[in-house]
Amino acid sequence: MHPGTLLALSLAAALAAAPGSLLGSRPWMASQGVGWATATAAGFMLGIGYVLLSTGQAIGPATTLLGAAVGVGLMRVADGVPGAPRSGSDIARVSAPPPTAFGLILGTTLHSAAEGLAIGAAAAAESSLAAYLLLTFAIHNVSEGAVLGAALTARQWRAGAAAVRAVLARSTQPLTAVATLLLLRAAPPLLPWCLGAGFGALFYLIVAELLPQSYRYVGRTGIALVVSLAAGMVALMGGTP
Amino acid sequence: MTQMLGLPVLMAVFLCALVTALATGLGAIPFAFMRGLAPRAVAFANAIAAGLMLGASLGLLAEGVRHDPARTFVGAAGGVAFILLTQRLLGEREIEFASLSGQGARRTLLLMIVMTVHSFAEGAAVGVSFGGGETLGIAITVALAIHNIPEGLAITAAMRPRGVPLLACALWSIVSSLPQPLTALPAFLLVERVREALPYGLGFAAGAMVYMVLIELLPEAYHAAEGRSIATLAGFTTIAMLLFQQYL
Repeated sequence: MHPGTLLALSLAAALAAAPGSLLGSRPWMASQGVGWATATAAGFMLGIGYVLLSTGQAIGPATTLLGAAVGVGLMRVADGVPGAPRSGSDIARVSAPPPTAFGLILGTTLHSAAEGLAIGAAAAAESSLAAYLLLTFAIHNVSEGAVLGAALTARQWRAGAAAVRAVLARSTQPLTAVATLLLLRAAPPLLPWCLGAGFGALFYLIVAELLPQSYRYVGRTGIALVVSLAAGMVALMGGTP
Repeated sequence: MTQMLGLPVLMAVFLCALVTALATGLGAIPFAFMRGLAPRAVAFANAIAAGLMLGASLGLLAEGVRHDPARTFVGAAGGVAFILLTQRLLGEREIEFASLSGQGARRTLLLMIVMTVHSFAEGAAVGVSFGGGETLGIAITVALAIHNIPEGLAITAAMRPRGVPLLACALWSIVSSLPQPLTALPAFLLVERVREALPYGLGFAAGAMVYMVLIELLPEAYHAAEGRSIATLAGFTTIAMLLFQQYL
């Protein structure tokens, strides 16, 4: 995939946070639709993660798995920064003080950067894989924008300002995606590391955020079925030789 | 293949599946030292079990895809359908792990039935995985043995507060997993005799395990711990399981 195309598609995926933020201020947003959409995105990401992992393992098994550990660790560190995006269940559980503006920017920037790394690695491996992943991130950005939009409007932010803030929070995602793609073009031996890190970041995102969000809105049977089917479809299309 | 782990192959498969069943009894051990278990500890145990099962499933899928991708994914869909059907037959009653204490005997019995029916699929997973080679078989045995410990915890947590002796709790836990050695042998023989069945079987086991993680282990884990802690534990455990399979 051309870096310019990747940048344009990634920016489009990041812009999906704006309508999400606007919808987040509406009470009816807390509906089953969010749960189903998030579960579908989780399933697609799980399937893509499987393809990233198997592609990396075919090149360098050890480096891919070490990269996966780095991906999980990176996401965990990013989530440890006050202001990092949280799933609905965690917002309810953790009684931390509200983050500072710097914390919000740093947390969301690091979080989005790790996601961008997964997109860049997918683009370096296979263009269609990156296209699937960007579609799933667009869905994820809608729901993440909704969570942020709801939180900011509750603090008396105007809906328009909250939407701009939601898009800005995702802006490091396209930048890191393109940077990762350019890095991998310059240094191909890093590919298994980045593929592994992409898998790790996606795995963390699915388990830490997407699944808890989905279970919150829809029963576990439906979510498990949707995630399994979506993951199976993507893995079958992208993971077969 | 006539020998495995220095034993006649059928004996080795049976013994490995028996080990996974016996591991369920280990879930009773913490109750020798305490009356109950902190919900957060149960959540972390479920996260580790989820990571092990996801890592094992990825190994099964990779092995299946090497043989035949389409058959593997048909098998995976069959595994998901099997667990879904089992649930429907049991009246869609899902296990409420953290709230077992103080519930009635009927609930304990239902828990036992669910665990026992799940065990059929897990036994098949052990048998089928040995069809894919000794290394894969051992990896799946270890994953399922560790996965069974929280199941033993669940059964003991339901029975012990009702005055059931600790040894009886351990024995009932093992009984719930006895289908594993019983189904492992036919599953192994099937994929050994009919090699075309191997990718279906590997996919079936992977699909059933992934679905069980999604429907049972992760939702239970989210009840008592943050998503980020669950993700970190499950992520590193999945990677450790993959490394274990790669370099065993």
